[in-house]
Amino acid sequence: MVFCAVEQENNYSRAAVRKVAIVGLPNTGKTHVFNNLTGEHGIVANYPGTTVEMQRSLVMIQGQRHEIIDTPSMHSLYIHSEEEVAVRSMILVEKPDVLVQCMDAGLYRQSLLLTAELLELEIPMVLVLNTMDDVSRQGIQIDFQVMEKLLNVPVLASMSLHDLGKKELKAAIGRAKKGVVDIKYGFRIEHGIHALTAALPFDMEFKHKIATLLLQKDPLLEKFLEGRMGAETLAPARLLLNNIRSQVQGNWRQMINDRRNKWADKVSAAVLRKQKTGGQGVAYHLTQASRQPFWGILIFLCLMALVYLAVVYVSGAMDRMINFLAVGPLTRFIAGFALPPFWNDFLIGNHGVLTLGLFNAVGTVLPILSVFFFIFGCFEDSGYIINFTVLTKNFFKKIGVPGHAITSLVLGFGCKTMATLSTRGLTIRKEKFIAVFLIAFAIPCSAQLGISMSILARVGLSAFFIVFSVLILCEIGAGLFLNTIIKGGEESWFIQAVPPLRFPGMKAVARKTYHRMTDFLKEALPIFLLSALGLFVAEKAGLLGVAKQALTPIIVDWMGLPKDILDVFLLALARREAAAGLILKMVDTGALTYIQSIIAVVVTTISFPCVANVMAIGREMGWKTAVMMTALIFVSSFFLVAGLRWILVICLGP
Amino acid sequence: MGITRNEELDEHLEQLWYMKEQQIITVDFMKKALKQAFDPKIVDALSAAGLVVLGPEASAIRLTDTGEARARQLIRAHRLAERLITDVLGGGDLEQIACEFEHTVSLELVNGICTLLGHPKECPHGMPIPEGACCRLAQKAEFSFIIPLTDLKPGESARVAYINCRDDRQIHTLEGLCIRPGAMVKLHQDYPTHVIECEGSSIALDKAVVANISVWRNLQESSVPMPAVAVPDKDTRGVFRKFFNYIIRKK
Repeated sequence: MVFCAVEQENNYSRAAVRKVAIVGLPNTGKTHVFNNLTGEHGIVANYPGTTVEMQRSLVMIQGQRHEIIDTPSMHSLYIHSEEEVAVRSMILVEKPDVLVQCMDAGLYRQSLLLTAELLELEIPMVLVLNTMDDVSRQGIQIDFQVMEKLLNVPVLASMSLHDLGKKELKAAIGRAKKGVVDIKYGFRIEHGIHALTAALPFDMEFKHKIATLLLQKDPLLEKFLEGRMGAETLAPARLLLNNIRSQVQGNWRQMINDRRNKWADKVSAAVLRKQKTGGQGVAYHLTQASRQPFWGILIFLCLMALVYLAVVYVSGAMDRMINFLAVGPLTRFIAGFALPPFWNDFLIGNHGVLTLGLFNAVGTVLPILSVFFFIFGCFEDSGYIINFTVLTKNFFKKIGVPGHAITSLVLGFGCKTMATLSTRGLTIRKEKFIAVFLIAFAIPCSAQLGISMSILARVGLSAFFIVFSVLILCEIGAGLFLNTIIKGGEESWFIQAVPPLRFPGMKAVARKTYHRMTDFLKEALPIFLLSALGLFVAEKAGLLGVAKQALTPIIVDWMGLPKDILDVFLLALARREAAAGLILKMVDTGALTYIQSIIAVVVTTISFPCVANVMAIGREMGWKTAVMMTALIFVSSFFLVAGLRWILVICLGP
Repeated sequence: MGITRNEELDEHLEQLWYMKEQQIITVDFMKKALKQAFDPKIVDALSAAGLVVLGPEASAIRLTDTGEARARQLIRAHRLAERLITDVLGGGDLEQIACEFEHTVSLELVNGICTLLGHPKECPHGMPIPEGACCRLAQKAEFSFIIPLTDLKPGESARVAYINCRDDRQIHTLEGLCIRPGAMVKLHQDYPTHVIECEGSSIALDKAVVANISVWRNLQESSVPMPAVAVPDKDTRGVFRKFFNYIIRKK
């Protein structure tokens, strides 16, 4: 009934806009297809669960407006975790006009099970097979014509990291049609489905599929339907359901799945051709090695060294070049005008809008970020990160991050906000709490990581090791602590498909880096400028001086930092990269000693999560928890820093 | 096939077990389920033997502890027989054979079959197999056809017999990755994490999950000898192999 109402509401807009939902298993290139189709630039990575929120974008296809929806992954329409519910609810409620299923050609057989279920929805479909180049290297060929004929839907191929023909995809969406899925469930099951279909409210959509799912004992669907249609409307169906279940012994989910598996076997036997290839490639051996303890750690250390060198030397060179070519001449040019001191300070003084805002963002932070984002993009696309988590799984379990929480935690090195949102899939509250806390606590996000590296490299390689050991120890300590004090929590289990390593496509990585940088400039530059302006005003009004004086006990006596570091903290509140840029400057001018630099980097990394991160925590865990966590992190960071300073002074001298 | 009174008793007990699984205690339901096989005299006999207790006016019926133990044994034999027929003997008329089987086997034989099959937790229809003493002791047979995947050595392949697990979500997740009866899996590594390969994709899993995957022993490749040529533990080759494994593991 409610379904019907939704349709009437949408009647007008539905005529104008066709909805196209992109769905599929994890890590099958949904966002890649979405970006391709819409020209947007959602973050793509060879890492499951990169997309956590649905994304929508309007596109013209064949003269008609289409709303393209990128969805988080789902394994099946039979759902057993809350994170996948969102996708199914979207399909059931919004009734997309076309479903585009992305399949990893390497996971062809696995994807077919979902295909069977989607075909049963009787929504027009298009199938997109990604990473065709990878499988053809393994000697597997997929016969598209046979597949199209068998399933009666358009099937497209795309190479892993290259562009799929946008035109072909649009054309395929135009000719998408209801597919054919001839699964014979047998008399008993089909009889049950039909009887139940008849008992469901007459105006309900997808009755056949919903009946099947109800028979499979989908725990979340009953709740969903009840929420939408009311328990009374469903009462006859429920009565019948219990009746059918008691009449036929056995596990319905398993019986239905068995038939579907047989169908998938049949289809893949007809479509797949395997031939022997001459041994496995370099990528295969590299993948195997990266999961072994000895080689895996060796590879990890080599890669870290590579990142370090690149960030330090390449971005250092870029930094100098920009300073030499642009910042230096511009400063001299402005100084040449001999403006009144106020305006001179306003533009190029210590807290000048240009110095702290524009030059800081473009001259100091951007070179580091561009190098770091490029390398990080390579990591993401190669699939190395998920393989590395496999290596470290047991270690993570000890600090209270078992199973799938690890993948969220590792995402934190990209963006903490995204990582926090991705904990939605964790069902056990204890696990989720620990993961969210650890993400917010001492994990530096990609932007911060790049800049911290660069700061520490100027201070010395040993500082780099000290800071990262401290951060790692903080995480381990916090994990162990929370794991012991928080009670309860059943054992969760870990099952995760890990993709083989592949060499990242330079074009794709370059494009991703470009988008990340433009995003950074769009988002951060105004904040850089505004915060610089704020500091300038505060300084001129004398507020800054008063605040520095008032906070001297904490900053100077307690943390052992110069009182000018307050500027850094204030900037960090607005945007961490801005603060890091200022630290860089202070290191360069000798305003910070060795120990002070280490402490400054640690403080800015752990003292407070950024605003977006706090918002994400609020959404996932509730506002009370978010405030509590932030306060906890803030307070504990002060004690940590004092302790760190004490240890460093004892070991290294003041 | 002439059914003796004893077998009829057993059928009634089994029905009561099914009803217990569904938490139903009405005699009416039992009547409907058993159809013409239902016999009030047998119900009386069961009650007299102390196997069931009847509610007021004989409308409700419930197994006593002794009755439950008996029914448990019957169901266990029935469902294990089903497993034996599908897994080992390659299928056939499940119901027919299992029904005859359950009345004739001894407790020891049932436990023997259970051990041979690697203590399965579910029958082929997905109904739970009641636990026996052998499962609780997690006995390992000298030789069993079906072993947990954890018993393979890295690099070995085997065919999945069944997923020995009661958690529907776990089975569903594994099925989604094509790890299901009949699939070939290869154990890539067992340290630091178990990684297996199935249908061309690598999957990392917890050891507890790997242990739930029961596979067919690969008779040609298996490193564990068949009982006929069993090598006693004291054999130096065994010691050497253990030492060698230890070294490799350490590395």
